[in-house]
Amino acid sequence: MPLNQYDAIIIGGGHNGLVAAAYLARAGRKVVVLERRPIVGGAAVTEEIFPGYKFTEFSYVVSLLRPEIIRDLELPKHGLKILPLPSTFTPMENGDYLAAWDDHDLTRREIYRHSPKDAEAYDEYARVMARAAKAIKPIINLIPPDPTSLHPRDLFNLLKVGQYAASLSEKELYMIAKLATQSSADLLEEWFETDALKGTKAASGIIGTFLGPRSPGTAYVLLHHYMGEIDGAFRAWGFAKNGSGGVSGSIFNAAKALGVEVRVNSAVKQVKVKNGRAVGVVLENGDEIESKVVMSAADPKRTFLQFVEGKYFPDGFVTAIQNFRTRGSSGKVNIALSKLPNFTALPYKGNGADSVLHRGAVSISPSVDYIERAYDDAKYGQISKRPYLDMIFPSMIDPDMAPPGGHVMSCFVQYAPYDLEGGWNDEKRNQLGEAVISTIEQYAPNIRDCIVGMQVISPKDIEAIAGITGGNIFHGELLLHQIFFLRPVPGWADFRTPLKGYYFGASGAHPGGGVMGAAGMLAAKEMLKDGML
Amino acid sequence: MSRYDALIIGAGHNGLVAAAYLAKQGKKVLVLERRAIVGGSVVTESFGDGFTVDSVFTGGNFRPDIIKDLKLPLPTVKEKPALVSLQPDGSHLVLDADPAKAAESIKRFSEKDAARWPEFVRFMNKAAYILDVAYSTIMPRLPKNFNFSEGYGLLELGLELRLAGRRDMLNFIRALPMTAQELVEEYFESEVVKAAIASVAIHGSTLGPMSAGTGYTLIHNWLNRGGLAHVNVGKAGEITSALANAVKSFGGEIRVNAEVASIKIENQIARGVVLANGEEIPANIVLSSADPKHTLLTLVGPRELPPEFVWKVQSIKMRGSVAKVHLLTDGKHGIPEGTLVIAPSIKYLEKAYDAAKYGEISEKPYLEVTTVGNVVSIHFQFAPYTLKKSSWQVESSKVEKLAVDTLSEHFVNLKSSIVNSKTITPQDLEFTYGLTEGDLNHGQLMLDQFLLMRPIPGWSNHKTPIDNLYLCGSGVHGGGGVSGAAGRNVVKALK
Repeated sequence: MPLNQYDAIIIGGGHNGLVAAAYLARAGRKVVVLERRPIVGGAAVTEEIFPGYKFTEFSYVVSLLRPEIIRDLELPKHGLKILPLPSTFTPMENGDYLAAWDDHDLTRREIYRHSPKDAEAYDEYARVMARAAKAIKPIINLIPPDPTSLHPRDLFNLLKVGQYAASLSEKELYMIAKLATQSSADLLEEWFETDALKGTKAASGIIGTFLGPRSPGTAYVLLHHYMGEIDGAFRAWGFAKNGSGGVSGSIFNAAKALGVEVRVNSAVKQVKVKNGRAVGVVLENGDEIESKVVMSAADPKRTFLQFVEGKYFPDGFVTAIQNFRTRGSSGKVNIALSKLPNFTALPYKGNGADSVLHRGAVSISPSVDYIERAYDDAKYGQISKRPYLDMIFPSMIDPDMAPPGGHVMSCFVQYAPYDLEGGWNDEKRNQLGEAVISTIEQYAPNIRDCIVGMQVISPKDIEAIAGITGGNIFHGELLLHQIFFLRPVPGWADFRTPLKGYYFGASGAHPGGGVMGAAGMLAAKEMLKDGML
Repeated sequence: MSRYDALIIGAGHNGLVAAAYLAKQGKKVLVLERRAIVGGSVVTESFGDGFTVDSVFTGGNFRPDIIKDLKLPLPTVKEKPALVSLQPDGSHLVLDADPAKAAESIKRFSEKDAARWPEFVRFMNKAAYILDVAYSTIMPRLPKNFNFSEGYGLLELGLELRLAGRRDMLNFIRALPMTAQELVEEYFESEVVKAAIASVAIHGSTLGPMSAGTGYTLIHNWLNRGGLAHVNVGKAGEITSALANAVKSFGGEIRVNAEVASIKIENQIARGVVLANGEEIPANIVLSSADPKHTLLTLVGPRELPPEFVWKVQSIKMRGSVAKVHLLTDGKHGIPEGTLVIAPSIKYLEKAYDAAKYGEISEKPYLEVTTVGNVVSIHFQFAPYTLKKSSWQVESSKVEKLAVDTLSEHFVNLKSSIVNSKTITPQDLEFTYGLTEGDLNHGQLMLDQFLLMRPIPGWSNHKTPIDNLYLCGSGVHGGGGVSGAAGRNVVKALK
């Protein structure tokens, strides 16, 4: 095959793009991945922003990465190493803390300290949630059918969904229906009384959405975060050696080994269309690359509104894509530290090298109302004065992330609305940084003395750097009207698009966001089915 | 005296509908009403000389099929009024039932929106139709205990959905979980237009236009009103009195001032009821049109029910946040008839809701005003049933003041024209009208309390763990607002 001619072109070298490429190469196809940036990884990258300090810039923990992908692509062999995050600490306004461990009994004992009633409820709650997550998991690998279509493929996929539903018990069926439609606050208030417990659990229901914990639909997002596993350990969250860059790095290595060609600094301008078929791409620099099929791992808006002219799509399709909700709601503050900040709830001795608190996540989520009020600011276009924070100290888990003695701290912050009143600028970025620091300061007074350098990433920056329209970490909110056969738009959820030979396999497609890789894998498998390559 | 075939608890519209259908079948039925008058929350009451008003639900667009079945002497709604949204600058948007007229008014705010209006109305009518079919279908228990006769209804529903056409069906499914804001933003650009429609979405719900699931409540309220504005304002009572007459004409009995204290249960089977005065009335079956919480937790009692079932019933979200302020004036109030709303912007509505989230009364409330002659009736949101910092004994006057002050900004003569007033707080809604936690719909209209999950998952088919005890109020599927679907469906479910 001549140069610049491939079976498949993958637009975007994020984890989904790389996964798709690897699966196609594994099936013996000649594949090239085109990445806009000088490095691969997309939103799963690790970069040295301050000398010696490596930040896992955007996504920072792993759990959802599909085990079959890890197996199929032999990722451990290619450098994937996941180190467990053993705990989550929630410092409370009264100076105490609430800890959650990867060990049920430890967690139960800790909850008992705050409320014997909650400790009792926690046993059943954990059982129910684990069951719900297990029950809903198969959906991840289903190809969403178009329920209104009579096409054999859709009918077949519909049958598969039917079989799945029939496999569930009545209890599970209703549990899923309830979880999919409830608000995370209502869900938790049915079970618990301890504010810090409700707040911390409710928080995972708002991540990446532009909703408050009291809005229906957030329980589904909470469940989405329960679907992860590490080495078969359900719901376990971990930190990849060398950060999220380590995850995409291992997928990159695997793809390379399978013969995938990866070109960085190769921004795609447009998809080439010949008589109603995608036949290649044109790069920003004018180069043309030909292929039998093209798959986009970019977000839906760039995939359908930027790379391809609207005239190739049926009417209504473009509008539907424009209506796809990509409201970024979260930011990231990455901090280089000279020493570990000391939390008054559980102070450390010496240099804190043996501090339990810093080994896991620290969550600023004292109550549901706290998070709801953070949302109130954001929905009127403001940065949360007192935001929800999810913090980890990568250097405590992987010492290579920071120079000797130093540490790095990764703070996920919500809410930081993409559509900020007055728009984003350096001043607003500083305001976000200040909101985060002063919030941490309430619980760790010495934080300011520890800071060597700070990187503030707003949704605008996520858009600019990682190229995600709207800066939404899931490429599009996990709202009920944007999941399964409605993701990204009704009728086009099976990774195909109205343009023949053009495929879509990224977080904006089923099953949605997180460092999961499922969309890339499923898209690749569908591409191979169509016999165009 | 021969034994009753069926007792119906509550003479609200659903209870009366169920009673009428059963009586029509020749069953010996008795309706028991706690209050001295029938109607429940679909009632027109007098609070003094010339002070007659729809106390809870305003007017009502009753189901034509029920009117036909029961030959109710109710006028079919001919002319439909407009929804008028008052603006701070004195201007107002008039959303007339006639799309052409409405577009005229919308033009003043946005040419583009005026052009989109007919398509929006078409979609909403289609969506309301689909929802109506869903409400007329009894939701069976899935997948176990599935019996074909029940499943048949679902099949019909699926077919209806399919016939609705690919585009509309998907857009309907998509619209339900959306926020009202998202839904209206897909059609309109003018804040005035968007907010006016969004106000209908949050009407009666403890949700804001930025809460997911208010797409559904918009369609629900559109269906209930047959559009945006209320019909038959001041005539809500006519519906229930017509129903009461129907019950009697079919040989059914109705007893007022007959409060049911408990349902008589012998080994998991309902045998009749016990009245507050101690009188026992035996019957073959008991239908309760009271809300699920009151019926199951008070009239039946937790002792008779499985613990998990009790817990689920306790978890039903009621949380009413509506207060009514009725005003008798000397007629110089200057307020036009029809349905007026104070909903200048989406943010205004959302901010009003924020207060409710934290157990406070909205300082700048969403108001819906309906006027007949000298009587002005104000629907006030949000006034949460549970106040964090205060109590309703203290706050009742505050709601009236806020309502009158807010409305006076638009109608300067209102204050001076007031002769008499009657405020109904969420607590009054509970104590006087029997609505637990003041929830107008016997349970919030939320997606997790919808279809198969109303009132609770697994019990959407009117049945309860107690044999011969059925639910037929707004709290079960088909209920919510003035429709009567629940009351009619239960009769089908009995077969």
